[in-house]
Amino acid sequence: MVFDSLDPRINRLNLHLQRQEEYKSVSLDQLPTYEVFLQLKPDKEYQHAGIVHAATPDTAFLFAKEQFSRRYTCTGMWVVSSSCVWVTQCMELEESIYDHLPDDLHETKESMSAYDIFHLYQRGKQHKHAGKLMASGHGDAVIRAKQQLDQGKPVLNIWSVKTSDVRTTGKEDLEIWSTLPQKSHREVISYRAGEKLKLFKEKKHGPPAK
Amino acid sequence: MGHRQNNTALKELLYRIADDLLILGHRNSEWTGIGPLLEEDIAFSSMAQDKIGQSLVVYQLLQELGEADPDTVAFTRNAQQFHNCQLVELPGTDYEFSLVRHFLYDHSLLDRFRQLTGSGYQPLAAIAKKFMGELRYHVLHADTFIKKLGTATDESKSRMQKALNHAIPFALGIFEKSPFEQELITGNIFVGEAHLFEIWQQEISKIVSDTDLELPDLDFSRAKTGGRTGKHTEHLQPLLEEMSEVFKLDPGAEW
Amino acid sequence: MYGGGNIFEASRFDNLAQEDPEKLAEFEARIARGEKIEPSDWMPALYRKQLIRMIEQHAHSEIIGALPEGTWITRAPGFQRKMALMAKVQDEVGHAQLLYSAAETLGKPREQMMQDLINGRSKYSNIFNYPAFTWADSTIISWLVDAGAIVNQLANSKGSYGPYCRALERICAEESFHLKYGHHAVIHLATGTKIQREMVQEALNRWWPPMMHFFGPPDKVSVHTEVLTKWKVKMATNDECRQQFLDMYVPKIWELELTIPDSNLKKNSQTRQWEYSEPDWEEFKRVINGDGPCNKERLAVRRTAEERGRWVREALLTPEAKYVTPLA
Repeated sequence: MVFDSLDPRINRLNLHLQRQEEYKSVSLDQLPTYEVFLQLKPDKEYQHAGIVHAATPDTAFLFAKEQFSRRYTCTGMWVVSSSCVWVTQCMELEESIYDHLPDDLHETKESMSAYDIFHLYQRGKQHKHAGKLMASGHGDAVIRAKQQLDQGKPVLNIWSVKTSDVRTTGKEDLEIWSTLPQKSHREVISYRAGEKLKLFKEKKHGPPAK
Repeated sequence: MGHRQNNTALKELLYRIADDLLILGHRNSEWTGIGPLLEEDIAFSSMAQDKIGQSLVVYQLLQELGEADPDTVAFTRNAQQFHNCQLVELPGTDYEFSLVRHFLYDHSLLDRFRQLTGSGYQPLAAIAKKFMGELRYHVLHADTFIKKLGTATDESKSRMQKALNHAIPFALGIFEKSPFEQELITGNIFVGEAHLFEIWQQEISKIVSDTDLELPDLDFSRAKTGGRTGKHTEHLQPLLEEMSEVFKLDPGAEW
Repeated sequence: MYGGGNIFEASRFDNLAQEDPEKLAEFEARIARGEKIEPSDWMPALYRKQLIRMIEQHAHSEIIGALPEGTWITRAPGFQRKMALMAKVQDEVGHAQLLYSAAETLGKPREQMMQDLINGRSKYSNIFNYPAFTWADSTIISWLVDAGAIVNQLANSKGSYGPYCRALERICAEESFHLKYGHHAVIHLATGTKIQREMVQEALNRWWPPMMHFFGPPDKVSVHTEVLTKWKVKMATNDECRQQFLDMYVPKIWELELTIPDSNLKKNSQTRQWEYSEPDWEEFKRVINGDGPCNKERLAVRRTAEERGRWVREALLTPEAKYVTPLA
């Protein structure tokens, strides 16, 4: 049975109301996720914004741009597959994960590559980019981070990401955010109606008593 | 060339841009909430909003040139008074068609605006510059999807091919010449549709050649024209009636 | 947009005695100190289960909530309204995405949640089973339903689960735009022409009863709710939220000289509580169990969107792409 909706868009879909068979999504349907990091101003560190479902870094980038930076300002975005992020356990209060990591590095013959290290300083908040370093693997990266990036402030949780796994923003991409501050139709500030309301009340009840 | 004539030519150019953007933005907004994937739903909606926002700025420029205010112009004219190409008014009930149209149209828009950044008419050059970033994202989105869906599964390839075959004659109609074409060119306002068509053709051919899709013949004799002079398909008038249904309940009211 | 109704009922009480007492004590102490729980932490099975259930219902309410207002997306009058409504409905889809993500960190994949929604195994906010007959209905939804949702969500944002709090923080910020836009649009109708005033009064008449249902029936106090309150999963009672909503918005409706369709509605100056006619909880139950004016349509639309979008999702996939539980 095709039915009448109040929504003309829905009527154009010609959908059927009575469907007996169970809806089943196929396993193919589940796209993997990408972690998204944003830089809101040029001098600020990148911080975690959330995830998007996508299968390639390029589509993840497209999706993340509108899901996480369609308001305010943005000067850069990184996306990386969730499966490429290496995570430590999560500490609490003033206890730093760095206090539980060894000080010594194992000498290794493996080749070195660049890693990005993210810190969580407070539960419930976002992971922030702490810095870049060269390491031979994730385990090595966090130990080196202890030497290079530990500022003494307790770090509850560390994420390590191999830089080559990150889809970053090229200089030439930056202009995609250029009109963002002007998209005022998404902002509270565009919907002031106080004056109209005041006039309405005055018309009904006269001007307010002095 | 008299000033009045020049103005008429300029207005015609602005109307075709603004009407294209409004109608396409409207069509694309129909997907909001019912898109194929939450993330794509959001991205496609943003681009629809961008287009309506861009059309508004062009209608505002028209108002400065003596035309009625943007709401009146957009919500009270009938189909014969619209200068949009027929491509943008076609229903987008299939996602593949919406994507292919987005690809074909947005390349033409990016090219058009790129040309207009050098326009001798400063206010229009300023608008074109302002929106280059938005258009860059739109085209990046379109290209990524065309490349992906044009190479992925048998189903996606066959759907995209069909949509492309259907859309091309209408896409050619984007470049229907203005009656004032020569004036615009000699007045240094716009390089003209023929030149734009050349650039567009090269660009889309290049992208499509990276896929398993086949670009249909781009011979201009196949073009579905008429939209620029108010001759539209049967789809535009109902679209306009729907769009203005509430507005027309009381056109004098503030909504 | 989400209210409180019907989240916690009908769940078998899981046996906490099966949990490791030491870990449980540590977990409870962390919450008592006001610290958030993060996805990699140990948590009791009941906590995980209830959070998935709650966040999932919230996410469903957002994606289904895009439909009643979406009814007017192609008909919004004028540029300002057209762009605002597009952005508003888009935000609801965005909120669904954020919330599904938060629930995913607890181990339930999004496609599975979507499947449970479509097959009616998972609920969403009852109010979206009502139709938006006119443009004015869409403005009342943007204003009042979002106002109610903010009351509920602000309470929940002080809960204990990190990813849910982060999502809600962002959602509440975006919904302040919805609320302002909705109020702006309603003010224009209420102070406008005769047609406009009638339109908005009728819409208010239609939406008031579902709005009173929105926060759910008065809570039954049980051991179950006590535990969930202690764990900061349940942050405010349904009645507390309802009272707060009435406190904030009844005066704003009255100043527009609109009539709220409940002659018993008044604030008791002694108890400082709002008194109102008891909403029809039988109707609430009937609608939530599938027999409302739009239940079938809402699910059929969602199902169609999923089915028709499948080829796109399949084509986007690459063979090497593998799903893992997202991080935060």
